Amino acid sequence: MQITIEISQNHFSLHPSGAIFWEEKAMLLIADVHLGKVSHFRKHGSAIPAHVAYKNLEKLTEIANQFQPKTICFLGDLFHSKLNEEWQDFEKWVEYTKAGVILISGNHDIIPNYLYEDLGIRVYDEWVLDGFHLTHHPSELTGTFNFSGHVHPGIMMKGVGRHFLKFPCFYKTESQLILPAFGNFTGKYILTPTEMDEVFAIVEGEVICVSKK
Amino acid sequence: MKRSELISLAENWFQSKNWKSFPFQQKTWKAFLDGKHGLLNAPTGSGKTYALWVSIVLQYIKENPDYKTKHTKGLKAIWITPLRALSVEIQQAAQRFANDLETGLTVGIRTGDTPQSERAKQKRQMPDLLITTPESLMLLLASKGYEKTFKTLTAVVVDEWHELLGSKRGVQMELALSRLKTVSKELRIWGISATIGNLEEAQDVLLGMDPEFRKNAVLIKSSEKKKIEVRSIIPEKMETFPWRGHLGLHLLEEIVPIIKASKTTLIFTNTRSQSEIWFQKILEKHPEFAGEIAMHHGSIGKDTRLWVEQAIRNESLKAVVATSSLDLGVDFAPVETIIQIGGPKGIAKFLQRAGRSNHRPGEPSVIYFLPTHALELVEASALKRAVKEEVMEDRIPYLLSFDVLIQYLVTLAISNGFFPKEIFPEIKSTFCFQGITEEQWNWCLNFITLGSQSLQAYDEYKKVEVTEEGLFKVESRQIAMMHRLSIGTIVSDSMMLVKYVSGGFIGTIEEWFLSKMKPGDTFVFAGRTLELVRLRQMQAQVRKSSKRTAKVVSFMGGRLPLSSQMSKILREELQSEADHKRNTPELKALSHIFDRQEKESIVPGENEFLIETFKTREGYHTLFYPFEGRFVHEAMSSLLAYRISLLVPITFSLAYNDYGFELLSDQFLDVQNVIDNNLFSSEYLFDDLQKSLNATELARRKFRDIAVISGMVFQGYPNKVIKTKHLQSNSQLLFDVFRDYEPDNLLYLQAYRETFEHQLEEGRLRLALERINSQKIIWKQCKKATPFSFPIITDRLREKLSSEKLADRIKKMTLKLMK
Repeated sequence: MQITIEISQNHFSLHPSGAIFWEEKAMLLIADVHLGKVSHFRKHGSAIPAHVAYKNLEKLTEIANQFQPKTICFLGDLFHSKLNEEWQDFEKWVEYTKAGVILISGNHDIIPNYLYEDLGIRVYDEWVLDGFHLTHHPSELTGTFNFSGHVHPGIMMKGVGRHFLKFPCFYKTESQLILPAFGNFTGKYILTPTEMDEVFAIVEGEVICVSKK
Repeated sequence: MKRSELISLAENWFQSKNWKSFPFQQKTWKAFLDGKHGLLNAPTGSGKTYALWVSIVLQYIKENPDYKTKHTKGLKAIWITPLRALSVEIQQAAQRFANDLETGLTVGIRTGDTPQSERAKQKRQMPDLLITTPESLMLLLASKGYEKTFKTLTAVVVDEWHELLGSKRGVQMELALSRLKTVSKELRIWGISATIGNLEEAQDVLLGMDPEFRKNAVLIKSSEKKKIEVRSIIPEKMETFPWRGHLGLHLLEEIVPIIKASKTTLIFTNTRSQSEIWFQKILEKHPEFAGEIAMHHGSIGKDTRLWVEQAIRNESLKAVVATSSLDLGVDFAPVETIIQIGGPKGIAKFLQRAGRSNHRPGEPSVIYFLPTHALELVEASALKRAVKEEVMEDRIPYLLSFDVLIQYLVTLAISNGFFPKEIFPEIKSTFCFQGITEEQWNWCLNFITLGSQSLQAYDEYKKVEVTEEGLFKVESRQIAMMHRLSIGTIVSDSMMLVKYVSGGFIGTIEEWFLSKMKPGDTFVFAGRTLELVRLRQMQAQVRKSSKRTAKVVSFMGGRLPLSSQMSKILREELQSEADHKRNTPELKALSHIFDRQEKESIVPGENEFLIETFKTREGYHTLFYPFEGRFVHEAMSSLLAYRISLLVPITFSLAYNDYGFELLSDQFLDVQNVIDNNLFSSEYLFDDLQKSLNATELARRKFRDIAVISGMVFQGYPNKVIKTKHLQSNSQLLFDVFRDYEPDNLLYLQAYRETFEHQLEEGRLRLALERINSQKIIWKQCKKATPFSFPIITDRLREKLSSEKLADRIKKMTLKLMK
C-alpha cells in the first residue's frame, strides 16, 4: 500500500493519503490540507457538499491513529481562507490529537499566528531539522534535503493509443521532495518529469513508483 | 379596421416595391391577426421576416386606428435571433416597413455588443420592437420591474428556432416564454424554423404543454422549394486516391476552375483547422488569388469577420473558406457557388450550406462536393438521394436540464424574487420540465437556498434567501453581479486572445493549444504565419513570421457523427452495390474498389451484417460494419469488447469511424463464439454500457458545462483574471467530489443522462442492435485488409478496453517525459 524510501539514512513512508511518515522522528509531514475551502466556496454561493469539509479532519484523525506520531508538521496552506466555521472543528481536532502540531506557513495561511499559538501550535516560516529543510514553497538550501508542498503535483500517464490518465503524486528530485495535496477539495498541477526525477503516483489507494529510476 | 383592410395595407406596400406576397406570408398575417400562435416553416431569404413583422405592425394599426398621428409607447414585440450578426439585417427590414407605413414604430437591438449607454436608454424607454438573443432576454428578466417592461408585449418571435431547439439555449427560451406568458396577457408566440424532421415537436416545445396555447396554434409551411443540384468532384484517376486523410488537398486543382468561373464561391470545411489549411494551400499553389480570397471561422476576430461578410456583399472577393460560422443567416446575394469539402454528415446541414448560394428564379442552387476519401463518394451519392427524397434529421430537445432551471431560478431571484407556488406551474408547463416531480423541484429550491438537501450546523452557504413571506430573493449584491455575468448556456473552453505585439487583435485560440507552445514557436492562424513572442495573462502576443511551419492552430470540439437518417440512406446506397447496380456516377467511379472488396470479402446486401477478420503484423483484426455513425460505433465497440472480455480474458484496442469499428487484439477472436453467445443483444444495454465504456470520463466532460451553467463554477469577471482566483475551482474537482460524497446529486446524475441520451445516443444504439439481430451475420475470414477496413485499421485515435486492474494497467503505461 505504501512505499518506504531512504534519504540520507532516514526512512520515509509515502502514504496513499498524501502524507509522509518520517520514521526516525515519528513525524507526519502533511501538505496543503486547505481546510475551510469548502466553506469559503459555499459562502460565495457555490454548493459544494458541506460534509466534504469534515472528511478532511476524519482523514487526519485516521492517519494519526495509524502512525501514532509524536509530531504532525503541516507544510503550509493548512487553512484556505479567513476564519470560518471549519476553524471550530479544527480546534476540537487539535484538542483531541495527542501529537504536537507544527505549521510551516504558506501563501494561503492568512489566519494570524496567535490564534494557532493559542491552540499550542508552533508556527514557523521554515524549519531545518537534521539536514532536512521543511518549507511550503519548494526551496533550495545547500547541504539540506527539502520537503515542501504548494505545487499540488500530479502526473500524466500515457497508454497505448491516445490513452491518458492523471494522478496526484509524490515528486522527488535529487534534493527535493514535493508532497501531493492532502485536502480532498484541491486540484493538481501536472508536472513533466525529467529522466532524473522519481515519481510516486497515488492510484486507487496505492502508492506506485512510475518513474524509470 | 377590418382584417381584409389591414391585409390590403400590406399588399399595397408589397406592390409599391414591385414584389408579390407569398401564400405563406398571407396565411401568417391572417393567423396572427386572429390571435393565433404558431410555427412558420420557411427557409432563409424567403421573406420570413416580413411574414411576421408585417403581422405585428398590422396588429398595432388594428389596435391604434389613429396610428399615423399618435404613437402608443411600450414594447410591442421581441424578436429572438440566435446570432447577433443577424440582428442588423432584421432591423433594417423591419424599420423600412414601419417607416413606409408611417407608423412611427421604432426598432432597437439589444445584444452583448450593445453599449451600456444605449441599454440604459432602452431601459427608460423601450423601442417598439426589440431584437435580441436568448441570453440578453434572460438578462432583462434579471432586472427589477421587468414585468412592467413586458406588460404591453403582443408577440415574441423566435427566429431560427431549429438552431436553438436541440441545445440548452432552447431550454432557456422555453423558460423565458413560460414567464412571459404570465406577465404579458396578450402574448402570441411564434417561431420560424428551417425544415427539420420533427417540426410538430418543434412547435410543441416552443408553445409548451399549456392546452390553451396548443389549441390555438397553427403550423404554416412555405411551399417555396429550393431546387438543389449536387455535383461530386470525382478524381480522374481513382488509383491515386488515398484511403485516408481528411483534408482532400490532392483535389485542390479541381476546384480552381470552379472558383474562377463564378462570381463568388463559398468553400465550406468541417473544422476550423481544415479551413486554415485549405486557405493556406490555395494561396500557396495559386498566388494569383492573393487579396481575392478570405477566411471566415468562429475564432477569427469579429472585425475581420464583419469585414469578410461585407466584402462578400461588395463582390470584392472571389472565394471564402469558411466553417459553420457562415452556415446561418445573412443572405449573400453575390454568392454563386458552394463547395463542400468532406462529408457534411447530415442532410440538413448540407442543404443549409447549399442554400447559401444565390439562385436566379427557376435555376437550382449548385453545390459541389469534394470527397476527402474514397468512401465519402458514397456519401455524395447518398446525399443526392436524400435531397431528392426530402429526408430530414430531427433536432432532439433537451429534457429536465436542471442546470438551466437553477440558473433561471436564481435569475428570477435577483430581479423581483419569486414565490415557488407561482413559478412551479409555469415550469411544469414547459416541454423540457413537463416531467419534473415535486421532489426534484424541492431539490432545486434547496440547492439554491441551502446549497444542500438538509440544513447543516453553522453553515455559511449563501445564495438565495427566503423572506418571511416566503419570497425567494438574492440579497447580496456580489452574488447578483456574479450571476448576471454568468447568465448563458454556451460554455467555451478557456480562450486566449491573440494580438500583435504592436497592437491589433487577430482572434481567439483555446488555451490548451497555446500552452503547448514556447516563445519563438510559429503557427498558422487566421491565414497568417505567426511567431509567439510571449504569453501574458490571457493574451498571446505574436508577430508575423516568414518561417514555414506545419503547425496549424487546432481546436477542440469534434468531428460530427453521421446522422441516423444519413446513415440509413448510406447503408441503402452501399447495399445496392451488392446487386451491382452502380447507378450513380459516384458509385461507378468506385467500381474497382467495390470489385476489390468483393474479391477479398463481400459487399453486404440488405439484411446482411458483415464481420471481417484477418491478421497483420499488428495483430488479429476483427471488423464490424453497422454504418451507424461514429458515436454509435464508439459505444457499440466498447460494449462488444466488454462483453467479449467476460467470456475470455483479452485486451482490445478499439478504432471506429462513421462506417464501422474494429477490435484489435494480440490473440485470435472466434467470431462464432460472439454470435453463439448473442453478444449483440440489446438486453442489459444500460448496465453493460456503464461498465464497459469509460462512461465516467464522458460524463465528466458533460459535467463541465453543467457546473458552469448551474453557477457552481464561476468563470471570473471579464478582463480580471487574478482577483477571483480564490473562488475558482474546476469542474473536474467538483465532479470527483460529487462522485465520492454526493452521488445522488441531480446535477451529477444529469451529466450521465446527457452522456447516454445525447452523446452515446443510447436510443439509436438500441435500434441498431435490434437491426443487427434481425440480420444475417456474415463472417468473412479474409487473407488481408479489405478496402472497407482500410480507413478504420489505419486510424491512430484508439481507445483501449481491458478488464485488468487500474494499478496493473498503470504499471504498463509510460510516464510522459520532458523532451
